Amino acid sequence: MAVAVQYYLLLSAVVFCTGLFGILVRRNALMFLMSVELMLNAGNINLVAFSHYYGNLTGQVFSLFIIALAAAEVAIGIGIILVLYRNFDDIDVTEATTMRW
Amino acid sequence: MAEHLVFELAPAIAGLPFLAFLIALFFGKYMPKKGALAGIAAAAGSLVLAVWTAATLFGGAEPYHTHIYDFVLGAEGVGGVDLSFGILIDPLSALMLVIVTLISTLIQIHSLGYMNDDGQTGLPRYYAELGLFTFSMLAFVYSDNLLMAFMFFELVGLCSYLLIGFWFRDEGPPSGAKKAFLVTRFGDYFFLIGVVAVFATFGTTAFVGEDSFVVMAEHALADGATEHITTYLGLDVQQWFTVIGLLVLGGVVGKSAQFPLHTWLPDAMEGPTPVSALIHAATMVAAGVYLVARMYGFYALSPTALGVIALIGGFTALFAATMAVVKQEIKQVLAYSTISQYGYMMLALGGGAYTAAVFHLTTHAVFKALLFLGAGSVIIAMHHDENMWNMGGLKDDMRVTYLTFLAGSLALAGIFPFAGFWSKDEVLYETLIHGLAGSPLLLVGYAFGLLSVFVTGFYTFRMVLLTFHGNPRSDAARDPASLRWNTKLPVAVLGIGAATIGFINMKPVEELAGTHLTFLHDWLAIGTVGEESEFAALTTEHYHHILFADYGAGYSAADLGPLIPAVVSLGLALAGVGAAWVLYSDPDPVPQTKKLGSVRTLLMNNYYQDEFQVWLARGVTVPVAKAADTFDQSIIDGVVNGVGSVSLFSGERFRRIQTGVVSNYATLLTLGLTLLLVVFGLVGGWF
Repeated sequence: MAVAVQYYLLLSAVVFCTGLFGILVRRNALMFLMSVELMLNAGNINLVAFSHYYGNLTGQVFSLFIIALAAAEVAIGIGIILVLYRNFDDIDVTEATTMRW
Repeated sequence: MAEHLVFELAPAIAGLPFLAFLIALFFGKYMPKKGALAGIAAAAGSLVLAVWTAATLFGGAEPYHTHIYDFVLGAEGVGGVDLSFGILIDPLSALMLVIVTLISTLIQIHSLGYMNDDGQTGLPRYYAELGLFTFSMLAFVYSDNLLMAFMFFELVGLCSYLLIGFWFRDEGPPSGAKKAFLVTRFGDYFFLIGVVAVFATFGTTAFVGEDSFVVMAEHALADGATEHITTYLGLDVQQWFTVIGLLVLGGVVGKSAQFPLHTWLPDAMEGPTPVSALIHAATMVAAGVYLVARMYGFYALSPTALGVIALIGGFTALFAATMAVVKQEIKQVLAYSTISQYGYMMLALGGGAYTAAVFHLTTHAVFKALLFLGAGSVIIAMHHDENMWNMGGLKDDMRVTYLTFLAGSLALAGIFPFAGFWSKDEVLYETLIHGLAGSPLLLVGYAFGLLSVFVTGFYTFRMVLLTFHGNPRSDAARDPASLRWNTKLPVAVLGIGAATIGFINMKPVEELAGTHLTFLHDWLAIGTVGEESEFAALTTEHYHHILFADYGAGYSAADLGPLIPAVVSLGLALAGVGAAWVLYSDPDPVPQTKKLGSVRTLLMNNYYQDEFQVWLARGVTVPVAKAADTFDQSIIDGVVNGVGSVSLFSGERFRRIQTGVVSNYATLLTLGLTLLLVVFGLVGGWF
């Protein structure tokens, strides 16, 4: 038997809030990146859930694209983190403030 | 497609001097006479073309009008205006082309003697500027619309500035040049407003054709065809035309050195003498009077404007003549005589004597160029001493110069049968008969003009007697430098002209002999032949018609023969000459004007007009400008600076939110999104 769509949405909301919480409180850039991934995947869950609910494949195709996009984003994110480490000997995001005013 | 080859060559009349300008400017220093030969060749070429043009017109060709280039095309149907260059060759402009090119050629030949033989430096610049000057004046003369005329009018002003200030390392010339530039610019300011007013009123500034502003204005007054005409300030059509006429007249008064903007001309004597000759005889100063003649069909519609012109002219004629009486430098006397003679032309135009004005413009160009070149020869001989009290006795050593100068002086004084007599007499006669028939303003102008005939005779012969007669009063005068052909040839040509050119329009003799002798009148009437021709509106016959029409100036002519006024003016001129002879024919003359006492002081100081204008500048303009400056600095700049300071201050504060900490940004984003959701919720009624 199929699971009702609200449960999927609830799961998605929980995952999203976990990601948001991570972005707001974490200082480690790697954790930051992971939190962003969580938020993206919360969106994916939503898309797949609605796609399943309406019996339309478009949402699933979109989530495939988003997964590919997320992979690219991670590559760039890791690159930024490497440079961050090289310049600041640390990956604490609150340290890299030399370009403000 | 022009019918006649020469009309297709018309652009070259102005183009050749421009070419000479470029050649002299860039290659002058490598050329044997430092650019003079290019200038002379170009001016002579233009002269040939101009004479050919005039001859073609004389041979019965239609006047010629063509568009050359539209530099702005107005939008169709929304009252847009076209700005264009074009050429208009009618009898008036053809005559003026001949005058300008002739004088320019002779002056450049004379410059060989005055500048080259004298070892002056900077000659390429000199000849280049002369070329540009000639080009501007020629282009001005055959402009087919007021805007083009204005542009070249300004260029003429620029060239005179450059040439007056030719010796820019001395103290006087730059100052005189600046004065000439600023004073004429003051008048040109009104001219510019006038041009804009013509555009705004008629939507065109063309001089010729059915849709020219001149013809439109005439139709508006004659037939009430005012549907394409916009007037402003709540004035009726004729009053508004008067306003436009007077605005344009501002430029004329400045350029033609009429009271009260005449003060620049005597200071313009600081330039080289051939330049003075060019400025006074054919270009610059002539431009003003020529402009009124060019759009005479427009002025003839407004009796008020004509009255103002006549009064300014008559007053200037006398006013300037009195100042010439006490001057000690030969060029100063000539400068004031120029102002006075242009006053006569203005009097003639205002008095409804179009033919006479053009006639006097022609004769004056010849004899004034002659007098200046003669004075230039004297100045070379005197090693650049211009004071007449150091001269004397030059008539034996400088035979050619003396005789030609005498011919020019007789013409200037208006002695029968020299050129000036015929033209000046016709000016006065026409003004008198129009004045007697119910225009008292013209009679006032006539009285001024008649009085200055006497004064003119006096100062002219005071100058001749002091310069050439009596005993030499300085070493330079005892042993004058010798002159070469290049100074003698131009004065000889002009001397013959000064003696004979008056015969082109012998009105009193025509009356006496009963034969037809007013050839200039016929010349200016060319174009009347076909009544439907667009050039018919540019003929002296047509102007006469407008002047006498009810809708125009409303002049009429009194029944008076030309003989008695001619005798009166000749008598006055002779009396003036006689007075000069009595006072100055002594071999060792004394400064008789000292007897005038305080009047002499007044005249020597030019009626304190310079002081007055300086006071106007310092006492009125400077405080006003200071007040405006204060307003600008405190109010206008204050507002601008205030806006800047507020932005700067708030920017300084607001940039603090850019902490550089990613977490802060994320927080702001989240809070913003939440806030947005709450607002949408409240507005959308979700709760």
